[in-house]
Amino acid sequence: MISRDMLMCVAVFENMQLLPLFPRFKMELGFGEKSVEEVCKTHGVNTDFFLEIANSYLDEAYIPGEGLSLFSLGTVISYLKETHTYYVETALPMVEEKIYLLLDQSSLSDKEVNLVTVFFNDYKLEFLTHILEEEQHILPYILELEKQSALKKPDSEFAQKLQSYSIREFEQGHDRLETSLEHLSRLIIKNLPPFEDFQLCQQVLGDLSDLVKDLTDHANMEDKILIPRVAELEKQLISRIDTP
Amino acid sequence: MRFSGFILAIDSYLVRKGTVSLLSRIPDIRIIREFSAADSFRQYATRQDIDFLVISQSIFDQSSAVFVSHPGLLERTILLKEDSVSHLEIHNSIHLWEEKEVITAKIKRLIELHSSSLSTSGSSELTQREKTIVRLVSMGLTNRQIAEELFLSTHTVTTHRKNISSKLGIKSVSGITVYAIVNNIITIEEVTSKPSE
Ligand SMILES: [Fe+2]
Ligand SMILES: [Fe+2]
Repeated sequence: MISRDMLMCVAVFENMQLLPLFPRFKMELGFGEKSVEEVCKTHGVNTDFFLEIANSYLDEAYIPGEGLSLFSLGTVISYLKETHTYYVETALPMVEEKIYLLLDQSSLSDKEVNLVTVFFNDYKLEFLTHILEEEQHILPYILELEKQSALKKPDSEFAQKLQSYSIREFEQGHDRLETSLEHLSRLIIKNLPPFEDFQLCQQVLGDLSDLVKDLTDHANMEDKILIPRVAELEKQLISRIDTP
Repeated sequence: MRFSGFILAIDSYLVRKGTVSLLSRIPDIRIIREFSAADSFRQYATRQDIDFLVISQSIFDQSSAVFVSHPGLLERTILLKEDSVSHLEIHNSIHLWEEKEVITAKIKRLIELHSSSLSTSGSSELTQREKTIVRLVSMGLTNRQIAEELFLSTHTVTTHRKNISSKLGIKSVSGITVYAIVNNIITIEEVTSKPSE
């Protein structure tokens, strides 16, 4: 658990898993003697929001929804978007590069190399499609919904759309991106012949496990915080439209 | 995924809210949409698939077109009966005066009966048949070849494939193949050398 009065350097030193969060808040290391709250203020980040994100990231048993429901959907969404950028620009290319390096230096059969290569390519495509769908359709829809909900009289075109669309549809098709990465780790640990470069193999497995954890946290925010709140907003707006 | 989606088309406000409160106490049910009038429900149904439907008598009477365009939906529909006159043969109905336990049991039985044939399946365990199909997919067989091998229609195989993808959260052949390997459904040696679609 980290708190607002803690020194940020202590918070990070004791919880190195938090490191990936800093670029998402546009924060850089070199905190000096500043407290968590002071660092947040310097970077224009809402301290409560930062604490909520960081603590839910640290604690797997954390039940999201209570603390985060205090923040606007816009705030939650801009965090989710930063996380998408991190996946697409950093995390995925990083693990991909290492996997190919590992395959290059291995004595795997062509069939085994092909299996992993095709698997990872398909996965990447699925991954990018998933993120693109959220960035281009779902998140803009939610922002629009939040905007329309604040209006006295929602726009008639939007009201029309609400008659035949609900976020619950997105929820139904919302796949967990971490599943396939877990399968890949198991394939390496269990089914593929041993790799000569154990160090590199260990790095790949470490990266995969970090990414799985991050993706789980991300999907939980989408499924357990974002979607229920959006569904609630939709319901309120629809009942307002139905009873003028 | 992994929950049963319900659409409610009930004109009475009190009955609708009562149904919502009852359904939300049953695990793994999501209420996708609520409708209070037949026209908005029909409009929705022209564009969307419906897993489960709870419908009031009067909206039901005005919505026969929906059941024509959604074959099989009638079996996944619960009709809320206000009187004892039954004008249409429908498999599942609930009388408004029935006890909570009876209603809950009826709904649960309905979900159990149909969830395995719907894309939004209630369980993420693969059935034996699905495992067989996963194995054949990993060996590089097309849906048509699988259908021939198992004496099924291509349509049935396609439905199985959809259910498998939804249960596992994996769409690609290569993803299914790796799943099959790590779960001992197939060995790397048995896998086709070019898993692609
Ligand atoms: Fe996302
Ligand atoms: Fe997502």
